[in-house]
Amino acid sequence: MKPAALLVTLMATALAGSAGMSRAAATVGSPAPAFTATDTQGRPVSLADHKGKTVVLEWVNPGCPYVQKHYGAGNMQGTQKAATARGVVWLTINSTHAAHGDYRAPAQMASWMQGQQAAATATLMDADGKVGRAYGARTTPHLYVIDTSGKLAYAGAIDSKATANPADIAGATNHVNAALSELLAGKPVTVAQTRAYGCSVKYDGAL
Amino acid sequence: MLPTLFRLMLAAAAALSASPLWAAGAVVTTPQVRAELVAHAPDGVAPGKPLWLGVLIRHQPHWHTYWKNPGDSGLPTTVEWALPTGVTAGDIAWPTPRKLPIGPLMNYGYEDTVLLPVPLTVAPAFNGAQLDVTLKAEWLVCKDVCIPESGEFALSVPAQAATGGHAALFDAARAALPRAVPGATAKAAVEGDAVVVQVEGLPAAWRGRTLVFLPETAGVIANAAPQQAAWNGERWQTRVPLDPQRSESPTAMPAVLVAASADGQPAPVDGAAGLAVTVSVTTPWPQASSTPGAPVAAIAPAAPVPSTAPNAAGGSALGLPMALLFALIGGALLNLMPCVFPVLSLKVLGLAAPGSRGRLASGVAYSAGVVVSFVALAALLISLRAGGEQLGWGFQLQNPYVVAGLAALFTLIGLNLAGVYEIGSLLPNRLACARAEHPVADDLLTGVLAVAVAAPCTAPFMGAAMGVAMTLPPVQGLAIFAALGVGMSLPYLLLATSPALARRLPRPGVWMQHFKVLMAFPMLGTVIWLVWVLGQQVGIDGAAALLGALLALAFCAWALGSPTLGRKGHLWFGAASAFALLVALAWALPSLAPNGGAHARAVTAEDHWQPWSPARVAELNGQGKAVFVDYTAAWCVTCQFNKRTVLRQPAVLDDFARRGVVPMRADWTRRDPAITAELQRLNRTGVPVYALYRPGHDAPLLLTEILSVQEVRDALATLN
Repeated sequence: MKPAALLVTLMATALAGSAGMSRAAATVGSPAPAFTATDTQGRPVSLADHKGKTVVLEWVNPGCPYVQKHYGAGNMQGTQKAATARGVVWLTINSTHAAHGDYRAPAQMASWMQGQQAAATATLMDADGKVGRAYGARTTPHLYVIDTSGKLAYAGAIDSKATANPADIAGATNHVNAALSELLAGKPVTVAQTRAYGCSVKYDGAL
Repeated sequence: MLPTLFRLMLAAAAALSASPLWAAGAVVTTPQVRAELVAHAPDGVAPGKPLWLGVLIRHQPHWHTYWKNPGDSGLPTTVEWALPTGVTAGDIAWPTPRKLPIGPLMNYGYEDTVLLPVPLTVAPAFNGAQLDVTLKAEWLVCKDVCIPESGEFALSVPAQAATGGHAALFDAARAALPRAVPGATAKAAVEGDAVVVQVEGLPAAWRGRTLVFLPETAGVIANAAPQQAAWNGERWQTRVPLDPQRSESPTAMPAVLVAASADGQPAPVDGAAGLAVTVSVTTPWPQASSTPGAPVAAIAPAAPVPSTAPNAAGGSALGLPMALLFALIGGALLNLMPCVFPVLSLKVLGLAAPGSRGRLASGVAYSAGVVVSFVALAALLISLRAGGEQLGWGFQLQNPYVVAGLAALFTLIGLNLAGVYEIGSLLPNRLACARAEHPVADDLLTGVLAVAVAAPCTAPFMGAAMGVAMTLPPVQGLAIFAALGVGMSLPYLLLATSPALARRLPRPGVWMQHFKVLMAFPMLGTVIWLVWVLGQQVGIDGAAALLGALLALAFCAWALGSPTLGRKGHLWFGAASAFALLVALAWALPSLAPNGGAHARAVTAEDHWQPWSPARVAELNGQGKAVFVDYTAAWCVTCQFNKRTVLRQPAVLDDFARRGVVPMRADWTRRDPAITAELQRLNRTGVPVYALYRPGHDAPLLLTEILSVQEVRDALATLN
């Protein structure tokens, strides 16, 4: 590398150090960002409450066709049931901003989840998008798995077929089921990062 | 009011996604887009004539569909053609996209009107009167909500008449394509949590502009994060933060460079909407550290290495201080190498000789020579790699000429130790005096020589560990090499600075002469190894030719440098030997040409091992078969050790057969970019590497560098 290029790189690195602060901190293999949010009943729920347990975070927006794909076909609920039956904590998080057309108030959100026969441990309201931004959640659905040591073990899509067609669920690999099976068997997660697909998370400013 | 409207839209979306809208014609209209299948065949439909089809999407205001890389969310538009026999469709020629920020996210796509053109090829077999096409297209259209839509289209294009009604649209689409830049080179290196992209050879009109890097590969960069771009003369460089949840690790990234206008959107420059470049990624991608169970390489007993033992989890498992400590110890152990020990031991014994003055200066000068040479060698390697050369530690041994040159050098040193000739008789008188008058310079040069001699000998043992040093940032990598040099010079430095230690050296005597001759044998032993390596590279003819040249060289050394030969003898034998050497070189050099022998590959296909190819591994994995790959090279001693003690054992071969595992051998004896690329993907830069590729797993299981039968069988037992 020529000295001039080296200098440019060094300067760019120094600059990027400050820019990097604004980016999502959640990285697979690193401790998952701590958070506290209120559930649809108004109770505070912290990640720290579930220390030592495997935790799944699921970003949801009932108005999104990709969320509807997985709830309509019972795939999301099935994944939730299989997980919670094995002692996994499942937190469904709605980061839709209150000014967005897709926003649902806590009571509406609770009744939607009930109507879907969802098996999440809790449904969290994150209308200010703090939790979503901390994890870099981009799409609904977007799924994260945190292992018993509090490290992020999986981030990405629910499955391997990025379509809106419910018929594709049968032939797809469910990455969350796979990651949980490996973690519960004490093995490393083979597919730890995938590209999440779906609607963008409706953060503040996304209108 | 708004929510109601959205519910209606979603209802429409649900209907659409459940049953694609069938259009008898070429147009599908939804509340968000009007999509039309259009054709451009100005010379009719015939072989060799231009033929384009395109999906023309007119979006409602503020709605958009997506580029090939949709960014943080979204999905690219897909097309599925039904075409008559003899007609084939290419890929979508994606127009340069717009940046579509949405809150903290960034997407890439199109608003207003976009034409996605697809080139078609017509085979001579096609003879229809018209081309009947049906298309099923799927697109995701978003504003603040997203709606997946799809449509089926049908179109007939007459074969004999011109179809050019949409010529202006196709022209506009062509103008919107990113323009290829002939002669441009683009490369990228991962540096921490970012990738640094360098592009050279961009058109003059683009120089000095604010450019943005848009990769066609999704899931690599942090799309919304600011890029740090700068021009350095004709070279453009940018530092692009990586996606913390990166899902792809491409070795080549097609990308589009766009010039940003005031509003941040791409603006055409000199008639080009963007520039298309293919970026080759020269460093390995750091692996997600989510695989704590991956095997960690053991500190190799035969490898005096700064063992920052590379584990599959990537990075250095050891901190830098520990890595430096290991480098120091490894460097000290290098003194025991068969080609270093003779040189060193004689130098050390010189300290005990009477009248050796200026010990401290001598020790420091020697150490400086060693350290500087190590750092220079490492800097050369690092800069060559930064320049895109596919090299690993030990690369110099992939060149037959270098191997032959080293064999000649070691032969000469061996003969000198054996007393066949003396340097003093060879060197001009003035030079010999200069050596005596400038002992410090002499010590410095001895240090350089020690490294020059040690480097090729160490490569076979240090490949894997050096690979780790190469993956570190340059400064840290160089620090490790410097520590290696300090370690190597440490014994001599200690003896030189401590009179107490020096006094413990055996007293000089006639035994020193015997010891010197004794040391000739390990030195000549390394020549046997080099000849064998050369034989692997260019075949038995080349090896025989090298032996002939070495014999002539030995004759030459004796004739010119023998202390017992008279003046006349030197002259006559010298002339004869020079002639013999010329003849031998004339015979040997042509047969040393790289790739000159057809034998090398045949050797590697011994017993049950198949030659390695990445496509074959993928194919076998696809069939549900596991593949065990032995990445090896003839010059790698550790590899040969493992081959004999483990990979040829019946217990291991039986296990391969019983479990249906296909053993493959990737031979890196000569340069092979495919193998180098795969080694980089595995975060290694040298051999040996042993990898078990299992069906359904992206990352292979990596074994340690020093294999054991039990370890291989345990790894195979994980297959079920």
